[in-house]
Amino acid sequence: MRKRIIKLVLNKIFQFLLVMFLLSLIVFYMARLSPGDPLKSYYGESVERMSIAQQEAAMERLGLDEPIYLQYTKWIENAAAGDFGISFKYKQDVMKVIGDVYENTLILGGLAYILNFGLALLLGVFCALHEEEWIDRIICKIGVVTNCIPAFFISLVFILIFGVNLAILPTSGAYSIGQSQNIMDRLVHLILPLAVLVLGHLWYYTYMVRNKLLEETRQDYVLLCKVKGLSKRQIMWKHCLKNIMPSFISIMAISIPHILGGTYVVEKVFSYPGLGTLSFESAQFHDYNMLLVLCLITGAVVVTANITAQIINEIIDPRMKYERGDLQ
Amino acid sequence: MNILRSSKENIIEESRKIPYYSITILAIIILGCIFANIIMPYDPTYMNLAQISQSPRVNHLFGTDTLGRDIFSMIWYGGRISLFIGILATVISTTIAIVYGCISGLMGKHIDDAMMRFTEIVLSIPSILIVIFIQAIIGQSNAVSIAFSIGITSWMNISKIVRSEVRQIRNSEYILAARSMGGGFFYILRKHLLPNFISSIMFMVVTNIGYAIGTEATLSFLGIGLPVEIISWGSLMALSQKALLSNFWWIILIPGIFLITTLVCITNIGNYIRKKNNREFSNL
Repeated sequence: MRKRIIKLVLNKIFQFLLVMFLLSLIVFYMARLSPGDPLKSYYGESVERMSIAQQEAAMERLGLDEPIYLQYTKWIENAAAGDFGISFKYKQDVMKVIGDVYENTLILGGLAYILNFGLALLLGVFCALHEEEWIDRIICKIGVVTNCIPAFFISLVFILIFGVNLAILPTSGAYSIGQSQNIMDRLVHLILPLAVLVLGHLWYYTYMVRNKLLEETRQDYVLLCKVKGLSKRQIMWKHCLKNIMPSFISIMAISIPHILGGTYVVEKVFSYPGLGTLSFESAQFHDYNMLLVLCLITGAVVVTANITAQIINEIIDPRMKYERGDLQ
Repeated sequence: MNILRSSKENIIEESRKIPYYSITILAIIILGCIFANIIMPYDPTYMNLAQISQSPRVNHLFGTDTLGRDIFSMIWYGGRISLFIGILATVISTTIAIVYGCISGLMGKHIDDAMMRFTEIVLSIPSILIVIFIQAIIGQSNAVSIAFSIGITSWMNISKIVRSEVRQIRNSEYILAARSMGGGFFYILRKHLLPNFISSIMFMVVTNIGYAIGTEATLSFLGIGLPVEIISWGSLMALSQKALLSNFWWIILIPGIFLITTLVCITNIGNYIRKKNNREFSNL
């Protein structure tokens, strides 16, 4: 038993490392082969005034003159020691720049994630209980429309209503000047970005929960429960919901890139300092060291989430192990 | 039991309903964009500096933007580029998806495994980040380059479906027969594989058009898509940051409503196709 667990854990760690390695390789090559000039983003306009010899010296100092695979092995060696290079734009250690803002993204994305799935579960159950009644139909129609609106447009409309016309909520930044320790102030700044993230993603997940539940209510065991005298609500909460949990957890894992992507866009629109704003900036300024690390961080989060979801699913639904032949 | 059955029939019944409204509205928008030259009262690129930021009125139905261009003309004219990007991106992504999925499905277990792992890796990065990345590499963007970068980031889901469909039919006798008679990869793909899985990917293809249009708008709005001179529904709204502070609501809302209406219609049509395809199997 213990051997099996160790083997499983090692297997997952190996999987994780392999994926991260491939990801870094692909992103690194793409970044270095691209035509954009990293020297320009480091030195700005002054590149044009440099002589060719000076440019070459600068290339050498930044390590850009070697063949790509050598650059890559060097990068990997440094990365293993925790040194991911300097951001060409900020002229600082990449990790330092990211370390200053990553918490903001974590808070925004995390809250959006929890709210989305909490509400999706409640709303999904509500819709499934009232299947094909007028309330369900109305929610479905509204949901389809909200799901189609691009996040940046909802943000704009919210800024227009709450920021410009009513002037009751702040529309940019993570806190007012000099208030970075004030939790209330931070919360007020979170309201609009969060509302956009929830409104933009909620229906997608609600719809999945609703449909899974509707499939479940057509199973035979529901009839048995009914004959036993359980009420509709009891059947739904105690039996159907439990049965859709494995797929719900898989959906939660798969959805992380979607919600993260949404967070990035919303951050940019609300000029909220975070990984998203950073990644747009680094794309605009060809700051590849930064973009590379951002891609890797995002990838690491997503892969970890996928592996966690697999493990949780195996715990709550032992059938999955049998299917894969692990338990023999 | 009775209740159960009748509601099930209801769903089946509903799924047969053709979304006439969506089709009509979408047709009007598409036709309007194609025949933009006839509808437009003004030249959409002409900047009339005497009439900047005018609210909707008789001679400017939807008002003018902060550069003095007529929004009504710009919407029909810009719709061409938006729709073009949507369709081109979808053609690119579908082509990649079908070829990739078929190769993966027809190959042996190890290559198939490796190829599917690769799609999972690509799926694990938010596609907006990849698009930003590619845009950064391409640099100066135009409609084709945007369609390209959206296209090569949205093929993964379709190729997964193609692969599983191909795996189910790869050992059928007719494919064996075609192979043993010397049919090449693309011949088998066109004659035998494509007709079998086209219906199951159709709805994703349609939703991809909507996704591509929305992504283009997002990118242009955020300043890494089309420049302001190339008019599309997205770059039309890129000016709205300025308009926002002055409370010029029409510059933001009117192009947005057009964009959303198009996306809702496309989604409805996609959903209809999906329900029509698998109504016997599940209620999804």
